[in-house]
Amino acid sequence: MDARRRLGQGRAVSSNDLCVRAVDVDKHFGRLHVLKSVSLDVAKGETVCVIGPSGSGKSTLLRCINHLETIDGGRIEVNGHLIGYRERNGKLVEDSDKNIAKQRCEVGMVFQRFNLFPHKTALQNVIEAPLKVRGEAKERATRVGEELLARVGLADKRDVYPGKLSGGQQQRVAIARALAMRPALMLFDEPTSALDPETIGEVLAVMQELAEVGMTMVVVTHEMGFARRAADRVVMMDEGQIIEVGTPEHFFTAPTHDRTKQFLSKIL
Amino acid sequence: MLASLDWSVLWQRIFHPDHEFVLALWRTIYIAVAAQLLGVILGLIAALMRMSRLAPLRLLSGLYVLIFRGTPVIVQIFFVFYGANLLLGVTIIPNSVNLGVFQLDGKAFAGILALGINEGAYMREIFRAGIDSIDKGQMEAAKSLGMPSGLAMRRIILPQAARVIVPPLGNEFNNMIKTTSLVAFIGVTELFQNAEIGLSQTFKPVEYFLSVAFWYLVLTAVWSVIQAWIERKLAVSERGEELSWRERIAAAWTPVAAWGRGAR
Repeated sequence: MDARRRLGQGRAVSSNDLCVRAVDVDKHFGRLHVLKSVSLDVAKGETVCVIGPSGSGKSTLLRCINHLETIDGGRIEVNGHLIGYRERNGKLVEDSDKNIAKQRCEVGMVFQRFNLFPHKTALQNVIEAPLKVRGEAKERATRVGEELLARVGLADKRDVYPGKLSGGQQQRVAIARALAMRPALMLFDEPTSALDPETIGEVLAVMQELAEVGMTMVVVTHEMGFARRAADRVVMMDEGQIIEVGTPEHFFTAPTHDRTKQFLSKIL
Repeated sequence: MLASLDWSVLWQRIFHPDHEFVLALWRTIYIAVAAQLLGVILGLIAALMRMSRLAPLRLLSGLYVLIFRGTPVIVQIFFVFYGANLLLGVTIIPNSVNLGVFQLDGKAFAGILALGINEGAYMREIFRAGIDSIDKGQMEAAKSLGMPSGLAMRRIILPQAARVIVPPLGNEFNNMIKTTSLVAFIGVTELFQNAEIGLSQTFKPVEYFLSVAFWYLVLTAVWSVIQAWIERKLAVSERGEELSWRERIAAAWTPVAAWGRGAR
């Protein structure tokens, strides 16, 4: 934990230790400039929480990291591999569907609205990608899937359809589903924003445990308690830019930027 | 007026159909099934083309729907059967097609082709509506798990869209069964043509057309039962309020039931 904390305090990190390297990322939605030359490095094993007002571009940045959104400028690398694009004559061109799919295997994603497959049971949701993408044997995928469901506390729900699960349970299945691909990086897009207050805790507990065992995580969240407990670094975004980066202690005791102070005073 | 009906002819055509008639009925069935199958395949391809990254494919898909939904199917049948021959000077419709198990008459082949291509344009719209009805998050979740688009479509999107696609698909097939009567005009001896031949010999149009109507009704009624069964199969347990297939058949037969109640 301490080693990881130190990484966060602005010390230079060799590129071998980097999981995510986003450099000067630009993104427009029509005339709206949603990401303005955003750069962000995430070290291996690090948990980074991205906070900021809605419309600040934090979800968009996250979605660019597994190429659910295209980017207009800059580049994003995960474990040294360029994401979504390939270089041709010094220019970046969008990669093929197949290659992008391969790159995404390394990156797990958890969505605000869970997006479980409603026509499949909890276990089927978890083993679908290992079976069909990785081509794993059914027995092995099932065994791993059951272990993952047990790990998120849902071993008894393996044959239940998502429609019969609570929001918190669905989100935990979604986390297990993403972990089943053994990703090097997990992205969380406001994972608790669509949940009832009572079920938020169970999802955050699973995420905190993941952070503690050294999973590299980028978490877009409004849960300041979680950011304080689990994050190695907190990133504050506003109007398409990263305006402040620091440790949780820094953020919650002495934020420097006025916009950060204003935002935190409203949300805490 | 009923008195002038020749009941024996009608009875005979309903209860003691001759060999020629059974052949005609069989032709109607296989033309309808084959054309619908072709329509489903073309419709799915066109629906996927519409979502392609490549603009020419999207344009082609749009043109296909514009042309084949925008012109009468009888014109399309004539075009396929005579048009290529007259325009290009080559025969693309052979006299007969050998399918191994049985010889398919060239005219029937042309009919299947024309009806299938026409049907594909309608099926594209049905597939499109079905695919669009699935939440965007499903595709994103599938992609984020490393699935290429094709796999995500096959494993995640289409199985869910099927619930939306199958009811109108059933309607389309019901329509197709009846629309096959148009291939009579290029000389395929199916149900309708069989009746025309018969009535030209007996001069009893009312009896012959009544019996034709009866047999189409039998085909579509049988289909409505099969459709109810398929829809029941597709109803996944995720939502508890699915109708049983008896209830679905009952719903399909509501007009009859209402008439029954009214009579009492």
